Amino acid sequence: MVILIDSLIVGGVRFVLDKVVQAVDKELSDDTVLREELLAAQMRRELGEITEGEFARTEADLLARIRDIRERNRAPAPPPGEMRIAGVEATFTGEEHEESAGEAHESEGADHRRRR
Amino acid sequence: MALAESGRRVLVVSTDPAHSLGDALGCRLGPRPRPVPVRRGTLRAVELDADAALARWLGQRRDALATIALRGTYLDREDVERFLSLSLPGTDELIGLLELARLARASPLDEVVVDTAPTGHTLRLLQMPETLRQIASVLDDMQAKHRFLSRSLGGRYRADSADALIAEIEQESSEILALLRDAERTTFSWVMLPEALSLEESRDALAGLQRSGIGVGEIVVNRVTPAPPGPCALCEGRRRSEARILAETARALGPLPMRVVAARDEEPEGVGSLRTFARALVGPPGRPRPAPSAGSARKRVPAVATRRSPRALAEPWWLSDLMPPSRRLLVFGGKGGVGKTTAAVTAALALAEGSGGRVLVLSADPAHSLGDALSVRLGDDERAVPGASARLRARELDADRALAAARARYRGAVDQLFDALRGSSNLDPAFDRAVMQDLIALAPPGIDELFALAAVTEALTQQGNSRAPSTVVLDTAPTGHALRLLALPDAAREWIQALLSVLLKYRQVVGLGQLAQELVDMSKQLRALEELLRDPARTAFVAVARPADLPRRETARLLDELDAMGIPVAGLLVNAITPPGCARCRRAAAREEKHVRALARRFLTRAGRPMILAPMTAPEPRGVRALRDWGRTWRRFDPAGRP
Repeated sequence: MVILIDSLIVGGVRFVLDKVVQAVDKELSDDTVLREELLAAQMRRELGEITEGEFARTEADLLARIRDIRERNRAPAPPPGEMRIAGVEATFTGEEHEESAGEAHESEGADHRRRR
Repeated sequence: MALAESGRRVLVVSTDPAHSLGDALGCRLGPRPRPVPVRRGTLRAVELDADAALARWLGQRRDALATIALRGTYLDREDVERFLSLSLPGTDELIGLLELARLARASPLDEVVVDTAPTGHTLRLLQMPETLRQIASVLDDMQAKHRFLSRSLGGRYRADSADALIAEIEQESSEILALLRDAERTTFSWVMLPEALSLEESRDALAGLQRSGIGVGEIVVNRVTPAPPGPCALCEGRRRSEARILAETARALGPLPMRVVAARDEEPEGVGSLRTFARALVGPPGRPRPAPSAGSARKRVPAVATRRSPRALAEPWWLSDLMPPSRRLLVFGGKGGVGKTTAAVTAALALAEGSGGRVLVLSADPAHSLGDALSVRLGDDERAVPGASARLRARELDADRALAAARARYRGAVDQLFDALRGSSNLDPAFDRAVMQDLIALAPPGIDELFALAAVTEALTQQGNSRAPSTVVLDTAPTGHALRLLALPDAAREWIQALLSVLLKYRQVVGLGQLAQELVDMSKQLRALEELLRDPARTAFVAVARPADLPRRETARLLDELDAMGIPVAGLLVNAITPPGCARCRRAAAREEKHVRALARRFLTRAGRPMILAPMTAPEPRGVRALRDWGRTWRRFDPAGRP
């Protein structure tokens, strides 16, 4: 049942594709994008599409970048109420992405950036 | 057979995945009806093959199903084909009734006699008309959008093969349900043993049947001990205990006619001996005979020496064989009524009193007997057992409850999702919402196995919980469904992989989210469980049998299947060995010895795994103290000596 439900969740969501993309775009931080990459790598490992070794390398790389983002987010504690700063941060991490956009797994992250 | 020989055309069908019908008739049977030689009338017999039946059913309807899925979901043909080719966990129940109906229609018949699986799964089988109706409803929801679109584009809608399939499933469901509930056409004979656990199980099951609107025609109490030829403490003790059960049965199951069938020296096997046996089964059933006078000798029969066993006593000899320190999971399984639960809980008690860690004894049989064996009330939570070691917890898994909880979780998530999707727009994806809501209402077949697996995994993978058990003793449903449970991790992982692929494919559209994370976690857990199940250091199966012909044959097949699946077997427990007694008991013991030796020839081919002989007692051991004492009377079978 779970399986059918899940496959249909996929279907149901696609029905309103644009709305989802908009909603997701609004809420995404780049940290989320990297976490999704990590999850996708885990999925590929469970499917046997990548080996344990390949997974370990991808994981190490992604975790390092997630740590970077977190540290940067923590450092300049923004004054409360200043909502604009979040926008600045998003632009920052977007650039960070451009630097390493050569990697195959990054294509989706790149998509999100373009839309933005 | 008796019906056929009264001049009728009869089909007898076994729906138990662990068939014994061919053994009883003394001939080889298969999924196609085979004639059985009878003196009058005609008798044909079938042992259903659920997987093959499902494959055939799907084969004929694959195109229509794929069409509906393509119209009603956003999956493409490749996804749909992949899902349609996966195996289903609860095939036996899902297809059992459909196949039965098909066979019954295929030739002119007067009567169809059905030999069902043991209690828990038979109740599941009888719920299948409702499941079929729900499946039809989901398919109909999927088709609804197509109908709506066709109408809004082209005016009138013309029903096609997809609609025909939905109508067919709906009709099958309501016809079967009507047949089951029609006392004129269907009657249920409830067969039980004159034992306390059997009575408790029957009580629960008959209440369940009543709730489903299915009428029971009569109760058959089988294998009741006849009067012994001379004074015999064991036989008399058994008769006293059975008389109490019979009286209790008459009281509890009330107005139903009751037929009491005496135990026979030899189990009936083959048409000839079944004919003799049939005489006890036809004709008007009677009331239970009066209990033999409880009279002077009311004390418990010392078939088991009832010496008190203080806790300081050394642990029983078999514990280290079945439970080396590395062991995490011990699975008890065997034919219905052989004493699986009693043996499992005896092992769990001894283990918890030993030097190891915490022990959880978990019943995964939908017709639970664990609490009855311990004489305590148990439930779906882990409970301490009064009188037992504090390290022991016991739980009777409630798959319906687990499903309801999962359902509630999903229902909230679905509503939230659709509300979020709708946002400020007034366009509601009503068709998709309906599909999802009906899917969530669908009780899938095989839920007992699914949630049992989840419970075992959960118990053994709790980290950082000081109360987590270090060992799980699992009491399973009888043979066919125990094997299904052990095969499930592979099947479940196929489903999860199919889903992971679909999610990865559409990730740009829907993102991955919590669902993907849960699936990855489940996939990892299943992988760990598959490894655990095949690791002889950590897992072992204990087969439980009785020294009689049908259980012996079923045990041999069970051992073959376990070997084929790579599941390690740590021991074979042969239960209810008749101790020395009257002349009849001695004859019984001699016959049992033949069966024990036959089992030993099959089982003792590998060193290091004991064959355990457990004595018959009267009454059967119940409660912590009696079980503990009973466990101390188990003996190792010595091929050189007397069994």
